[in-house]
Amino acid sequence: MPLKVTTCGAVCAVLLVAACGSGASAGNPAKAGGSGQPKPGGRLTAALSSAPDCLDPQQAGSSTTITVTRQLVDSLTDQDPATGEIVPWLAESWKAESGARRFTFTLKDGVTFSDGTPLDAQAVKDNFDHLVKLGARAVQASTYLSGYRRSVAVDARTVRVEFDHPNAPFLYGTSTTSLGIVGKATLAKPAADRCASGVVGSGPFVLDHYTPNQEVVERRRDGYAWGSALAPHKGAAYLDQVVFQVVPEESVRVGRLRSGQADVVSLLQPQAAPQLRQEGLALETRSPAGLVYSLNVNVSRPLTADPAVRRAIQKAVDRRQIVTTLYGSVYRPATSVLAGSTPGYTDLGADLAADPAGAGRLLDGAGWKTGADGVRVKDGRRLSLVLRWFSTYAATQSALELVQQQLKVVGVDVVLKQTPVSQALQAFKDGDYDLILGDAPSADPDILRRYYTARGLNAVRLPGGPLQTALDGQAAESDTGKRAAQVAAAQTLLVRDAYAIPLFEGSVIVGVGARAHGVRFDSAARLQFHDAWVS
Amino acid sequence: MTRRDMARYLARRLAQAALVLWAAFTLSFIVLYLLPGDPIEIMTGGGASGDAVDPAQIAALRHEYGFDRPLAVQYLDRLAAALHGDFGRSVTSGVPVLGLIRTGLPATLTLTGLAVALAVPAGAGLALLATYTRTPRLRRLLLSLPSLGVALPTFWVGLVLLQVVSFRLRLLPSAGDAGPAAQVLPAVTLAVPAAAALAQVLARGLDNVLRDPYVETAHAKGAGRLRVHLRHVAPNAVIPALTLLGLVIGELMTNAVVVETVFSRDGLGRITATAVGAEDIPVVQGVVVVSAVVIVLVNLLVDLAYPLLDPRIVLGGRAS
Amino acid sequence: MTGLVTGLAAEAPLTAGPGRRALGAARLLLSRPGLLVSVVVVLLALTAAFLPGLFTSGDPLAAAPARSLLPPGPGHPFGTDQLGRDLFTRVVYGAGPSLKVTVVAVAAGVVLGGLLGLVAGLAVRWLDDVIARVIEVLLAVPSLLLSLTLVTALGSGTVNVALAVGLANVAGFARIMRAEVLRVRTSAYVEAAEAFGARRHSVLLRHVLPNAYGPLLAVATLSTGTAVLAVAALGFLGYGAAPPAPEWGALVAQGRDYLSSAWWLTTMPGLTVAAVALAVNRIARAEGEWAGLR
Repeated sequence: MPLKVTTCGAVCAVLLVAACGSGASAGNPAKAGGSGQPKPGGRLTAALSSAPDCLDPQQAGSSTTITVTRQLVDSLTDQDPATGEIVPWLAESWKAESGARRFTFTLKDGVTFSDGTPLDAQAVKDNFDHLVKLGARAVQASTYLSGYRRSVAVDARTVRVEFDHPNAPFLYGTSTTSLGIVGKATLAKPAADRCASGVVGSGPFVLDHYTPNQEVVERRRDGYAWGSALAPHKGAAYLDQVVFQVVPEESVRVGRLRSGQADVVSLLQPQAAPQLRQEGLALETRSPAGLVYSLNVNVSRPLTADPAVRRAIQKAVDRRQIVTTLYGSVYRPATSVLAGSTPGYTDLGADLAADPAGAGRLLDGAGWKTGADGVRVKDGRRLSLVLRWFSTYAATQSALELVQQQLKVVGVDVVLKQTPVSQALQAFKDGDYDLILGDAPSADPDILRRYYTARGLNAVRLPGGPLQTALDGQAAESDTGKRAAQVAAAQTLLVRDAYAIPLFEGSVIVGVGARAHGVRFDSAARLQFHDAWVS
Repeated sequence: MTRRDMARYLARRLAQAALVLWAAFTLSFIVLYLLPGDPIEIMTGGGASGDAVDPAQIAALRHEYGFDRPLAVQYLDRLAAALHGDFGRSVTSGVPVLGLIRTGLPATLTLTGLAVALAVPAGAGLALLATYTRTPRLRRLLLSLPSLGVALPTFWVGLVLLQVVSFRLRLLPSAGDAGPAAQVLPAVTLAVPAAAALAQVLARGLDNVLRDPYVETAHAKGAGRLRVHLRHVAPNAVIPALTLLGLVIGELMTNAVVVETVFSRDGLGRITATAVGAEDIPVVQGVVVVSAVVIVLVNLLVDLAYPLLDPRIVLGGRAS
Repeated sequence: MTGLVTGLAAEAPLTAGPGRRALGAARLLLSRPGLLVSVVVVLLALTAAFLPGLFTSGDPLAAAPARSLLPPGPGHPFGTDQLGRDLFTRVVYGAGPSLKVTVVAVAAGVVLGGLLGLVAGLAVRWLDDVIARVIEVLLAVPSLLLSLTLVTALGSGTVNVALAVGLANVAGFARIMRAEVLRVRTSAYVEAAEAFGARRHSVLLRHVLPNAYGPLLAVATLSTGTAVLAVAALGFLGYGAAPPAPEWGALVAQGRDYLSSAWWLTTMPGLTVAAVALAVNRIARAEGEWAGLR
C-alpha cells in the first residue's frame, strides 16, 4: 500500500528483522481499564493498519502478521519487556552449554496443540528442522537458527538444540513468534498453504476464519492452561473472540475507536496523538526495543569515507527539532543506535547533541569550502549525498525532509531517493547510496550484528575491523555482563565514528476503548490478548 | 427481426466479447511480465532483512511459482489456467487471486451500483432541467455544472466531503463499512464525475432533438411544453446516454481504486491499489481481466437494451 | 472519464486559415470572460511550471519548524505544512512536476497514437483490421486501470507516470488519426494527385498531416485536462514524483494525515488541480465553439 504507511509500515515492514513477538509483561498491563475483575466472554475488536501478509508465524514478516499470529502459537520462552529477561513459557527450564553452542529445554507437561496432538520434544525438533528448510520463506526465523546443526529429542519432555558455532541470540529467538511452535499437521503442509490457511498452534486462541484484506477472527481455545510466566493468569483466554479488522486509513481507525466499533486501534500517527488525548481518547505508547530509526552511512563511497563528513552529519542533525516538530511528545530523540529498552543499550546522548557550528568547523577543517550554491566543495567535488529510503517508510518522509534541511544549513546537499521495496535487495547489493534509512524492532542486541556486519545486511559496508569483532564477540558470549560490554563497545563505535546517524526512537501508539481491559504489550510493543477482557 | 437473426447476432456479440477478454488477458500479460522488479524478491521481504537470502532458495521459489520458464510457456499455462478461473496466487500473500478478487468484488459492485443509481437521475435531471428552462442565465449555469464536475479530482472531492460532512458537521461516519450511512459519501464522490459526463451527453442529445421538426410538429399540435419535453424529447436522448453508461460503469469500477482508498473501504479498488504498490503481478492481471469481464457484460446488456428503448434500432445494424 | 471525453471531442473538427484565425481567437476570447480567465489560469500555471521564481521568492523545501501548520493568512496565502514550509510556494513549485508530466504524457499519447493511426490507415487491410481491433479493446478499458497496469509494470516515478498516462490515451489518438487518413485517402484531391503520378504515400502524408492536425489538437487539449487529473490521481495514490518534490497529487496525499486539523493542506493543492483542469477543459470547449462559429 504505497499511499500511506503508518508508523507500523516504518517500524516493521521491510527492515524488520527480529520478530520479537514474545509474550507480555505482567508488570505492564495497559492502564486503560486495567482495574476490576476480569470478566470472561465477549468479543474484542482490534483495528489494524494493514492486512496480515501470511497467517504462518514462522513465515511472518509484517508487524500485523506477528500480532495476528502471536495469539495462535506459544513460544518456548517469553521475554519481559521491562527487564529484557527471558522467562519460561512452553519450556519450564533450559540451560545453555559449551559456549552457547548447545541449548537444552525441559518442556511443560501436558501441553497440546489445538488438534489434540501433544507438544513434546519431537514436535519442537520437527519445528526447527522444518524451519531451516523453509529458508527464504522464513527469513527472520532462520536467522535465529544460524549455524543450526540438529535437534535431539532426548526424551518426551527434553529437547537439545545444537549449533556449529556459538549462537547466544538463539535464546532470545525462542521467545519470538517467528520461532513459535506449530503442530505436525501444519509442518506437513506446503509453505504457501500455511500462509493462506493458517497454522495449528498451542496458543490461547485458534483461527476461526480469515477474509483476505478484511478481517481475521480468532476464537478462544478452551482448556488452554500454559500461559507464559509473565501472564497474570495461565488458563484459557477470557475473550470468546478476537476480531482483527483491517482498516488502512488512520482517520477511520480513530473513528471506529470513538464510536466504539473497535476496542483497540493500533499504530496511530504520532502527530495526531496530542489532539486525540485532548479529545479524551486513551492512548498507550510503547517504544519497541531494537534499532532506532537511523541513517546508515555507506563508508565505501568516496564522500562518506571521510570521517569528518560523517561526524559533521552526526552533529548537524537536530534530533530534538525533528521530534518536537513532527512527533509531539510521543517519539524520543535517539540516544544510541539501540532503543532504550533493548538489553545492552548504552546512553550516548552526549555524542548526539545538535551542534551545527561544530559540524561546520569539522568540514572547514577537512577542507570542504562552501560553494556558490551553498553546498560545500572540495577538489572540485560537491558534497552531495544520496539518501535512499524504501517506500514502506512513507510516514517518516517529513522527518527526512527536515534532516535534508538541517544538513543544507551546514552545506551538505542531500538527495532523497525513494526506492520501491521490491528493489531493496538490489539497493543493498549495489550499495548505490550514501545514506540509507532503517529501523528494526528486536528484543535482542544481536540485531546490530545482522545489520552492520559483512555476513548480515552490511548496511554500512565496513570491510571488518573492531566493529565486526565486537559484534561477533557478543553473539558468542553467553555471559550477560560480558555480552553487554561488547554491545556497548559496538554502539560507541557506530555513533562516534558516525557509521550510523541515529535519528529518533519510534513508538507504537495504541488507542484503547473504554470496554477493553488487560491488553498487554510484548517487548517489541506488539499486542497480546491472552489476558484481555471486555466489560 | 427473426429469431435466427437474433441468435446469430448474439453469437457474434459473444464471440466479440470473448475476443476482447482474450485481448485483455494477453495485453496485461505482455505489459506486466516486462516488469523489471522481481516478484520473488518481493515475496522474501525484498531481501532487506538481516541476512542475505540464499540464492538457491530464491531459485527454488522462482521454480515453484513458475517464473523460471520461458515466457511463451508461462503465457500458455496461465491462459489455460485463467480459462478455468485460476489466476495463480498473490505473490505477497499467497492467497489465490480469484478468491481475493471475489472478496473485494461485491463491495465494489455495490458501491458502483449505488453511484450509478445516484449519477443517472442526477445527470438526467440536470440535463432535462437545463434544456427545459427558458432563462438563459439559469440555463448557462446548469450547463456549466457538468464541466465543473468532470474537472474536480475525485480524490479531492472525497476528502472535502469527509472534511465537511464527517469532521465538521459530524453528519455521516468518516468511512469504513459501518452500515449504509457509510456508503453515502463514497457513492456521492464516485457519482460526481459520472453524473457530470452523463449530463453533458444528455444535454447535447436533447438539444439536437429539440431542433427536430417533429418536436415542432408536436408543439404545433398543441401539446404542452413539459409534455413534449418528457414524452417526445427525452426518450431520444436515452440512447447516447445508455451507450455512455456502458463506458461509465467501467470507469466507475476503476475510480473505486481512488474512492476506496480515500474512504478506507474494502473492495476491489483497495486490493488493486495495494497490488499495484507491491507490484503483485498476478493480482493486477486478475483485476484487469475481471474488470474486462464486467465491462464486456455491461456493454452486452446495453446493446441488447437498445431495441427495447427505441424500436427504430435493429440489432446487428441491419434494416428490417 | 478520459475515454469518453476524448471520444466526444472527436466530433469537433477544427480547420482554419491563418489570417482570420488570430482575429477570431481574440474576438472569441473577449466575448467570453470565462474563457479569458481560463486562458489566464493555464498561462499562469505553465509559467509557474517553468519559472516558479516569478511567483514566489521562497524555497519550497525550506523548513521552518517554528511556523508549522499555520492556517492561510498574511505572509502565507495557502498556510504552512507540518514542517513550516509555505504551502503556496510548494504549490507553485508543484506546477513543474505536475504539468511537465502532463505535457509529456499528452505528447507521448499524440505521437504514439498518431503513428499507430497513420500506420493503420496506410497499411494493408489485414494489419489495419488488427490495429483497429486493438484500438477498440484499449478504448473499452478504463484509462485509469490501464495506467495502473502500466505503473505496476514500469514502477513508480515521474517518467513512468507520464508514460503510463500517455500510453493509456494512445488509443483515442490512434482512432482519430486513422479516421483522418481513411477520409483523406478517399478524397478527390488525393486521387487527383495520384493521377498526376505523385507517389501515393508521399501524397498522403503531405495531405493527411495538415488535415489531421486540427482534430488531433482538439483531442489533445481535452485530454490534457483529463491528464492533469490522471497524473494528480496517480500522485495521490503514491506512484508519482519522489518526495520531497511537491507534486500536486502528492501534496494532497501528504495533507491527509492532517485532514481533521489542517484543512488547507488538502484543500489548496486540490483546488489548484481542479482550477487547471477546469481551465483546460474550457479552452478545449472553446475550440469546438470556434470551429462551430465558422
